[in-house]
Amino acid sequence: MGILFTRMLSSLFGNREARILVLGLDNAGKTTILYRLQMGEVVSTIPTIGFNVETVQYNNIKFQVWDLGGQTSIRPYWRCYFPNTQAIIYVVDSSDTERLVTAKEEFHAILEEDELKGAVVLVYANKQDLPGALDDAAITESLELHKIKNRQWAIFKTSAIKGEGLFEGLDWLSNTLKSGGS
Amino acid sequence: MFSLFYGLWKYMLSKTEFHVLILGIDKAGKTTLLEKLKSIYSKMEGLPPDRIVPTVGLNIGRIEAANAKLVFWDLGGQVGLRTIWEKYYEEAHAIIYVIDASSPSSFEDAKSALEKVLRHEDLRGAPLLILANKQDLPGSISAEDVARYLDLKELDERLYMFQAVSSYDGTGIKFGIDWLVEVMERSKRTEILRVRAGAAGHV
Repeated sequence: MGILFTRMLSSLFGNREARILVLGLDNAGKTTILYRLQMGEVVSTIPTIGFNVETVQYNNIKFQVWDLGGQTSIRPYWRCYFPNTQAIIYVVDSSDTERLVTAKEEFHAILEEDELKGAVVLVYANKQDLPGALDDAAITESLELHKIKNRQWAIFKTSAIKGEGLFEGLDWLSNTLKSGGS
Repeated sequence: MFSLFYGLWKYMLSKTEFHVLILGIDKAGKTTLLEKLKSIYSKMEGLPPDRIVPTVGLNIGRIEAANAKLVFWDLGGQVGLRTIWEKYYEEAHAIIYVIDASSPSSFEDAKSALEKVLRHEDLRGAPLLILANKQDLPGSISAEDVARYLDLKELDERLYMFQAVSSYDGTGIKFGIDWLVEVMERSKRTEILRVRAGAAGHV
């Protein structure tokens, strides 16, 4: 299933280099999701500039993951990873209600980035398997997704541990990119 | 002299980007409509109907029709997601409300959702195009019958029209959009939104 999807995605981009950023606060479940998608080996790198980026390369598409939040001094270096980004997958721990405000702020800050203006946004309301996890409507409200008016977005309830909801989201993503993106 | 002002007016309008909200309950055919709009008015090939999945968020389509720039916002119609509709009202020039005319069992929900939309203060004066969709299906009822069923009150101050369409084969869509562009160009709401945007620009 994972292979099938990514093959579909690759055909979308032709030979162009494409990038999909998988972002969220620490412990949202980003790496687990990457492993779930089974697209290849997740390579973890800690560049000298000091923040940890995980990369999965699948044909011409790079999936790159890092934690938002935390120290501000390294943030300018994030920009190295922005060019050619077609999509942002934003992962939220739906059970971590205390940090939803931070998740929201970090999310909207990253959307402000000029180089990410054309990227469509897929939100994973993750950890639906945990008690007290908020549903998609509640996460939509908390993240203030309605403030997004110039690009397409969608939200899916997921459980990375159980592998639920991930492919429905990716289906949306490939459809959206195919029909012209933002 | 008149033609000079008229030309200027036309020029100002040509720069206006109209925001049109596509609303309706789930399974009404909003995204299929959006994709059809894309394929009718732009060179982009819309998604075929069998590839369309329920929307849980926002789809956007940009087209040019009748010399106007239109931006469509297609929002998910499932009950839990309807709460976000109103966050898009303030900036909308007009509303397209889609109804599945082949599904009588959904009419009640469609009617009450629409009544709620029309009561909202932020949509005051926004022109309304109601689409009796899925005319390609047997058993679909006419635009007149949909109008009779909905029996909407307090529409008198709002510009509105009922139109039978098929988002599947495209029937009736152009006629509806032509009407919508024409009424948006002369609606008071467009003027109000323009003034507001101008004021915001000077801050």
